[in-house]
Amino acid sequence: MDTAEIESKVIQFIATKVENLDTSTITRSSKFEELGLDSMDTIQLLFDAEDTFGINFDSEEAKGFTSVGDIISYIENHQAQASS
Amino acid sequence: MRVIVTGMGVVSPIGIGTDQFWSAAVKGISGIKKITSFDASNLRSRIAGEVAGFDPATFLSPKYIEQTDRFTQLALLAADLALEDAGGLGAYAPQRVAISIGSGMGGFATFESSALRKFRNQPVPPFTVPRTMANSAAAWIAIKHRLKGVNLTCSTACSSGANAIGVALDLLRSGRADAVIAGGAEACVLPLTINGFEILHALTTSSNDDPARASRPFAKGRDGFVMAEGAGILILEREEQATRRGAKTYAQLAGYGQACDASHIVMPDMEGQVAAMRGAIDDAGMNADSIDHINAHATSTPLGDIVETRAIKNLFGDRARHIAVNATKSMIGHTVGASAAIGSIATIMALHTGTIHPTINLDEADPECDLDYTANHAQQKHPRTGLCNAFGFGGNNASILFTTLNEGRD
Repeated sequence: MDTAEIESKVIQFIATKVENLDTSTITRSSKFEELGLDSMDTIQLLFDAEDTFGINFDSEEAKGFTSVGDIISYIENHQAQASS
Repeated sequence: MRVIVTGMGVVSPIGIGTDQFWSAAVKGISGIKKITSFDASNLRSRIAGEVAGFDPATFLSPKYIEQTDRFTQLALLAADLALEDAGGLGAYAPQRVAISIGSGMGGFATFESSALRKFRNQPVPPFTVPRTMANSAAAWIAIKHRLKGVNLTCSTACSSGANAIGVALDLLRSGRADAVIAGGAEACVLPLTINGFEILHALTTSSNDDPARASRPFAKGRDGFVMAEGAGILILEREEQATRRGAKTYAQLAGYGQACDASHIVMPDMEGQVAAMRGAIDDAGMNADSIDHINAHATSTPLGDIVETRAIKNLFGDRARHIAVNATKSMIGHTVGASAAIGSIATIMALHTGTIHPTINLDEADPECDLDYTANHAQQKHPRTGLCNAFGFGGNNASILFTTLNEGRD
């Protein structure tokens, strides 16, 4: 997947996870907090993202994720893992 | 001061909502079928009372569904139905509305599926603990309806729902709450849980090909209970305040009795059962002669039904044979921690409508079970008082006494 494709797929995925929000406003820079996701929601989101994108987040690194872009960057940087 | 029932909600294998449940119960319809929620072919007991047609997506958002176990979802629906029936509790400050829920196993569906993942070295879902914990149903009812009063969970195995309702009575009498959402919920039609009860020889294994006949309390040849799931919720208020807000009124919750056998962790004991029933009658300031109806614990185990029969005869003497006894579990199976909450709704409906629902599958009674169990056909008995019994593992015996609204009025 190229960067644009990853970005689009992650945003589509996030859109299925938020409630009471215009999903067209979700961008790479959207913070989880701005999307109405609290810390538990974020943990669940990352758990589901692992299944969806076939990736395993390093749990220490994932602790520091605060935005949609963090997920996209991680997947970009771990493409080999994701595609293997 | 009297405590009354102003709303009811039930989610059961024979119907969702009191009307559907009661209509099926009076007709004697069985809700026991082959297990559909998982492949049960490796189990010896392959039938259960599952709630058909339950779809959490019809009343919960994806976030609620993701974060809740099935037992919580059943409880949330029963609570919604009960609150709707009661016309809402907006008359009370949120801090004055308590929640008291019973569950024997809590979120065991989550536990079983997460344990399986862990043993397969797969990641464990983040909501494993908050979904599994026994108090999650009570907590989610509070969250959904923004109710900030006392929030309690009783986990006393098969008597959980009865104790939760008993505790609610205490909360209203002591003034700790103005209204209580009380009942029980259970969803343990699950491979490990069923296997665990099988090992104890508690479940029927002889009727896998004839599910509707499997649960047969008091009948000759019965060989164990049928696992089931469901939820029952009551709305309880002090009569004066309920009347003031113009609430619907179904029955009085008049007494609660509790006693521990302190003898064996799973075997029933007659003395504890007698003590619980006597306790409920004493608590209501009534006497044994005034009991018209008993919704029995009656799970369809060979020993349990005999011990309960003996307990009723021991307490009520010659009058025992004139009391209309019935077993809701003959139709829905054993919903464990929800059973006495659903049994309470059946008891309240008996007082409210005058009809005692039947104990089905009772063509020939066990010679040691010789009371009037309302065999196979509903009866018009117009009871004024009804006990609902619940006897759980741990030697935990509870009995709750409901009466018609006019019973005992000066």
